[in-house]
Amino acid sequence: MPLASPHAPPRTGETAAITRAGAQSKHKAAANHKAKRSPAPVTGGAREESALRDAIRGLEEGMVVLDPDLRLVLCNQSARRQLGWAGAPPRRGLALARLLARAGALEAAERAMIETRCRALLATAAGAPQPEKLTLGDLSLRLHRLAGFGVAIFLPTGASEGEAALRDPLTGLGNRRAFQAALTAALARPDGEVALILLDLDRFKHVNDSFGHPVGDALLRLVAERLRTSLRAADTLVRLGGDEFAILLPRADGAEALAERLVDLVSRPYLVEGHLANIGASIGIARAPMDAREAGLLLRRADLALYAAKAAGRQQFALFQPEMDARAQARQALETDLRRAVALGQFQLHYQPLVAVPAGNIIGFEALLRWQNPARGMVSPAEFIPLAEEIGLIVPIGEWVLRQACRTAASWSEAVLVAVNVSAVQFTDGARLLRAVDEALASSGLPGARLELEITESVLLRDAAETLAILHALHARGVRIAMDDFGTGYSSLSQLRSFPFDKIKIDRSFIHEVEAQTDGQAVVRAVAALGTSLGITVTVEGVETEAQAAFVAASGGHEMQGYLISRPVPADAVPALLARPHTTPKRQTTG
Amino acid sequence: MKQDLYRAVYCSRISIHGPPRRIADELRTILKVSRRNNARDDLSGALLFANQCFAQALEGPRAALERCFERIQNDPRHADVTVLEFGPTATREFPKWSMAFAGDPSPEANDPLAFVVFEGAFARAREQAGSAVLGLLHGLVRREEAWALA
Repeated sequence: MPLASPHAPPRTGETAAITRAGAQSKHKAAANHKAKRSPAPVTGGAREESALRDAIRGLEEGMVVLDPDLRLVLCNQSARRQLGWAGAPPRRGLALARLLARAGALEAAERAMIETRCRALLATAAGAPQPEKLTLGDLSLRLHRLAGFGVAIFLPTGASEGEAALRDPLTGLGNRRAFQAALTAALARPDGEVALILLDLDRFKHVNDSFGHPVGDALLRLVAERLRTSLRAADTLVRLGGDEFAILLPRADGAEALAERLVDLVSRPYLVEGHLANIGASIGIARAPMDAREAGLLLRRADLALYAAKAAGRQQFALFQPEMDARAQARQALETDLRRAVALGQFQLHYQPLVAVPAGNIIGFEALLRWQNPARGMVSPAEFIPLAEEIGLIVPIGEWVLRQACRTAASWSEAVLVAVNVSAVQFTDGARLLRAVDEALASSGLPGARLELEITESVLLRDAAETLAILHALHARGVRIAMDDFGTGYSSLSQLRSFPFDKIKIDRSFIHEVEAQTDGQAVVRAVAALGTSLGITVTVEGVETEAQAAFVAASGGHEMQGYLISRPVPADAVPALLARPHTTPKRQTTG
Repeated sequence: MKQDLYRAVYCSRISIHGPPRRIADELRTILKVSRRNNARDDLSGALLFANQCFAQALEGPRAALERCFERIQNDPRHADVTVLEFGPTATREFPKWSMAFAGDPSPEANDPLAFVVFEGAFARAREQAGSAVLGLLHGLVRREEAWALA
């Protein structure tokens, strides 16, 4: 049974009255002012004063001297530069308010603040000339009550500019330069033991895009604070830029436990500027001296580990493993070769026929990408397509495939279909995809109705409304849309209802199971029945044996494709296949 | 001030391990501190503890509410925080309470109503879960208020 405490204290609506130290009556200020009115005579004569002025002008630190009426005595070059004073140096005797009014580096509130503080300082007892510090954004000022005179404002450069150069202004943490310095120093210690933790936010871009940059900035400050509270005094925390943070631990042990805590902590929800934000964190760790002894290498290895953490599904941490290096190198080499292949045109298309069931006539060909590399030989699409998708090369490659397939198909003696695979990545720029299709059709003269685009279920997992709009635009051009590899992905039947697909291609794994297991049979039969009732053509892929072909016919499949009919063949072998008499696939043809 | 009034409703799972006595002690500490801070920050709300889960409604000026939520998030004594509701509100649901408390700290305690609500809260339908938890908290607090008046 729930208990409740009826003795909770009532809320208090009290507002603390804030009294500002240094605020004094105008009267007193005036009196004070009068007492100090007559300045002490300048000792040492005009030459000395002139020498002092020159010295002050040459100071690296900014300096503004004001008389007891807050009128300008002098303002050196450094001060003018820091205040954003444009044009000729201000005249002697200029009122502080007018001096500040022309200081481009200051905002109205900051000008008012400086003036108020100067007046307050003038009003203080002359015997206690405590310098007062005032920080305005990047500027930090020091105000001095000059005994027997007015006020001096110092604008330190050296140290504070140096500090600012090492600080991330958004979060107040160190920046990349501070991190480099700390890393070098840590590695130079006798034990050279360091754990380097790289942390990247997941889905931060989404927050920025949907709530705006001010909310994104506020979120970064909250993340910085959560990270800061989890660290020990000897640890170094910096923001490298964007949504990347780095942490240096002066020890190699304990990094994993900390990383686990940080992933949990940073991934907890945020209430920021009136919005609920859910982000995650991925972490990569590399340790010195076991993973690397040199700063650059340690950083690269932590980065590889971070990449691995993201590849494994994000919101987790990964420690650097030596095999990550080898994998990264292999991937790098493949990427170089792939970029070269695009430039050199090392790709070819092979064509595999699709035949009607049971008549056996060829109704079209699927264009399949082949990459013949001089050193690697024939590279499997399974190896290079995922990389091409990741680095965006799939877009130009896909456009080449479209052009080439349409041109080839236009030359065929029979008006059969040509089917082209389109990557989900190509759907991220729908306008470009539509343009590529239009150009391929226009330049080849192929009617849109002879082009079939095969998409996988992953395409539908992207922005659904946007994707459907692209699919409908393709349909409007007469282009047919086929759902490829059906049954391997999410296989949601609701996706079949989301768009009027022209064709479903049942993944080859199901027909392979037909002879061994009954599950495959049930799937092929069910999908064939479903397709028939929805008016969608059902194609069975991967048919390799007579028994499988017979099963396709018996279960009501409309088309089939596979080695039993023909392997994919080069473009110049297509005419011979088209000339072949229609047969039920009795002969085993190898291409 | 009025237009700046926000409410957040969240659930989380306790991560204090130990005998019921220790959990009860921690809960008392949590309540004491939150009541003090909330009174200072013009926040009100209600906390329910049952089935090893917390449900909390917090309401007040947005900036103070967000700061308070950050403090709660940094607390290692709970995990799996799910925000069920967050947004502006015209009125306070718990105007009299810096933090009303409903719940039995013993781990054996099993309030079937709370159980159903928590299961819903950690499932996907967040909007309904938010109002269900708020309704539950409200109902419990009203009941206690009625008893206190009687």
